[in-house]
Amino acid sequence: METRRDVFQAIADPTRREIIRVITEKNMTLNGVAELFDISRQAISNHVKILTECGLVIINPKGRERYCAINPETLKEVATWVEPYKKLWERRLDKLGGLLDELQTGN
Amino acid sequence: MNKIEVIRTFNAPVSLVWKTWTEPELVMRWWGPDHFTCPSAIIDFREGATSIVCMRAPQSFGGADTFSIWTYQKIVPNQIIEFIQNLSDKDGNKINPTEIGMPPDFPLDIRTVVTFKDIGDNQTEMTVTEYADFGSISNFAKLGLEQSIAKMDVIFK
Repeated sequence: METRRDVFQAIADPTRREIIRVITEKNMTLNGVAELFDISRQAISNHVKILTECGLVIINPKGRERYCAINPETLKEVATWVEPYKKLWERRLDKLGGLLDELQTGN
Repeated sequence: MNKIEVIRTFNAPVSLVWKTWTEPELVMRWWGPDHFTCPSAIIDFREGATSIVCMRAPQSFGGADTFSIWTYQKIVPNQIIEFIQNLSDKDGNKINPTEIGMPPDFPLDIRTVVTFKDIGDNQTEMTVTEYADFGSISNFAKLGLEQSIAKMDVIFK
């Protein structure tokens, strides 16, 4: 059976997206993450496992604790999808800013 | 991934920023991002009406024209413009994005909301929000991420 995980499979699940969101804000222990959700620690642990398998989350052991952190490189891979649309607008608004300056100085 | 929001502050009063959406000769001066031009903008600025704007790629990207239509849903002067964006032909007929080489999951209807806020000091905060299904993530992965992004990159550069 094919077990290879990809990032898009990983973020298809709303709970996993929420996990990504909370650890993007702050590195957290697995228990810390589990406390934020109404589902079992085991279920959270499985979600985190999927996220680590696809490289979105990295586990850093610190003493006895295991901290979950986001892998920014992989997250970027996901963000890239809307990035072109956003960039397009930003470039238009750059131009619009220039136009407004021009209109006001009467050039 | 169903929303894009871009916020910008301009050193201009709301009334002037508003005009850059309603006056065709002003729309033409910013709708094409850098290196692109906007050779035509037919603006029919009324709720229920449709404008047709064109974005022309630089020669180095083939120089193709991409037409979009904006069908206004809500207009509140100096406050809000809501419209649906679609790709179209030069006459303003909706087209399927794949016909012009866009990825198969390029969104068809992009609901766009532009808001204007007077923040004092002759400054205006403008927010552009696009709501659309920007590709079903799983389909997109199947189609080949790299390939689609490469295509879009050419269009959006």
